[in-house]
Amino acid sequence: MTGRAADCDASTASSRTHRALRRFLTNPLALVGTAVLGVVTCCALAPGVVAPHDPEWVAYVGTSDGRLTLAQSRSLPHPPAFGDPFFAPLGTTASGHGVLTELVYGARTALLVGLAAALLSSLVGVPLGLCSGYYGGWVDGVIQRVVDVLYGVPFLPFVIVLVAIRGASTTTIVLAIAATAWLNNCVVVRGTTLSIVRRTYVDAARAAGLPAHRIVARHVLPDVLPVAAVLLVQDAATAILAHATLAYLGLADVTTASWGVLLQQAQATGHVFDAPWWLLPPGLAIASLVAAFYYVGHAVEDVTDTD
Amino acid sequence: MLGPFFRRAAEVGLPVDRVVCVTRFGAAYLVRRLAVAYATLLVIMTLLFVLLRAMPGSFVSAMTTPGMTTAQIARLEAAWGVHDPLWVQYGRFLLNYQTGQFGWSPTMHAPVADVLARRLPRTLVLFGAALLACYVVGPLAGMVLGWYRDARGGTLALAVSLFVYATPVFWVAWLLVWLFDHRLGWLPSAHMVTQFPTFALSPLPVALDFLRHLALPLLSVAAVGWVGATLLVRPAMHDAMRSDYVDLARAKGLRERTILFKHAGRNALVPVTTSAALALAFLVDGAIVTETVFSWPGMGQLIVTAVLDRDYPLAQAAFFLVAVVVVVVRLCLDVAYTYLDPRISFGGRD
Repeated sequence: MTGRAADCDASTASSRTHRALRRFLTNPLALVGTAVLGVVTCCALAPGVVAPHDPEWVAYVGTSDGRLTLAQSRSLPHPPAFGDPFFAPLGTTASGHGVLTELVYGARTALLVGLAAALLSSLVGVPLGLCSGYYGGWVDGVIQRVVDVLYGVPFLPFVIVLVAIRGASTTTIVLAIAATAWLNNCVVVRGTTLSIVRRTYVDAARAAGLPAHRIVARHVLPDVLPVAAVLLVQDAATAILAHATLAYLGLADVTTASWGVLLQQAQATGHVFDAPWWLLPPGLAIASLVAAFYYVGHAVEDVTDTD
Repeated sequence: MLGPFFRRAAEVGLPVDRVVCVTRFGAAYLVRRLAVAYATLLVIMTLLFVLLRAMPGSFVSAMTTPGMTTAQIARLEAAWGVHDPLWVQYGRFLLNYQTGQFGWSPTMHAPVADVLARRLPRTLVLFGAALLACYVVGPLAGMVLGWYRDARGGTLALAVSLFVYATPVFWVAWLLVWLFDHRLGWLPSAHMVTQFPTFALSPLPVALDFLRHLALPLLSVAAVGWVGATLLVRPAMHDAMRSDYVDLARAKGLRERTILFKHAGRNALVPVTTSAALALAFLVDGAIVTETVFSWPGMGQLIVTAVLDRDYPLAQAAFFLVAVVVVVVRLCLDVAYTYLDPRISFGGRD
């Protein structure tokens, strides 16, 4: 390839990226989604800076070892208070921890569960889908029969049993979610690969004698990536919802702060219907983060839609 | 010229191309599909066997009480065959399950089959109704959203429906209980019927009481679930809008609403019918959560309590029954698609 052709290639590629970025940034859904993800990421990276208190902070006594008087502990969960008798902008839980503080410290778990489960299921599902679609034949047959069989396994019962075996740790939940989420990735990526493999430029690459791994990596994968990205974002959303559901059923790790556990504690202490400052924020936080992932996914789909 | 089969079909008014599909839909396909379904169930049984043997404690641990002597526990263990080699246990398990023998539930003190037979219809009633509600509201909303996709407010409507889809079902259920039970006092929020009825036990009041108990669980599932179908119909609707037959319908001077629902809408429904398996997955997961919130005595609640109480025979059989329902419904759906649309081949994905 001559130097000039390479320049030309590079400039069209960069202008295509530029155009895609501009379309993404003018999409209102993408902006809202990115903003929410940004806020949650800040909370996850530096909860100490964002949160009003330490996670050990308790209403009335703060981080000292003092004990609550009877009247004080009877007033918990306390509705939002701004400096009098203490500062807790979203009120407190039944054990006296600030709801806002718990919320900020729970961001890390939510983001971790979403991203880890999504990455894991992509790492399994996308390569298998590529192989299945590109090679066809018995490879496709074996992979698709495995997928067919696993589709018959009901998701939540499976996760419940798995958590009962391995204990309620965040790792177990991530593994369980990924173990079922890769199926969808595999099927969709296979379908996309099948439609790409029929195109003439793949035929041309084959005729030029390129090895299969190079054709898949250079000619098929770039067109599969946008689809995989959308699936990744959707998997993250599903994983966060699944984690919250498991927390509600009492199957999440209660020692790490998370939004699902915060809701489950409200139920366990019997304050679901008399402490709205405790019930509403975690639910809204889960919905916002999951919706943000959905928004970004839709925007990516819009941007990469070449029709 | 037409055989008796075709004449029958013509009499009931089926179009000829539909009838040709029927003939194309062969026994070989059905046999192959049945074989895959059976293999799926065998694999699920194996998975179940492995998973439940890996759970902490043995089958017997749920049946022992602190007062039991070692000899008594040993007798229980011998009766349940806990010490037999694993392959013997596995073979016995496969044989028993395929001959419909699910064993005895130590916590319910009843045959597992009886417990399941009582529980399954309750779940099917609740989620049959919920699914129906979702699949009436969802596609209609999708048609409207797809039609007005580029109009002002189209993006906002999409954003709102995605946000609804992102809320945890149990949280929505709590909000509904707070509003309709605690605030307004209109609807009961627990159990399937009134526990100590003060009304006459004649059919009408009993049915009304049941419907009142059904309302909130149904509403919770439907409030979140309708978006699934909407998201499938919306892009299909957008494609349909740009098609020639919509232009033709416009040129004929048909009303906008007629074109929306009768011409474009019907074609946009195709992805919904072919992805009903997704709805099935939603049903199973939703059953577990919703039944737990509302103390609805169905399969979902049963699975959770059985696993938490370590009632392994019951948990195992409940899990298996759910898997059977999923596999059978998927089989029926696949066969139905091939019947309805000859372009769909085995498995519905090629």
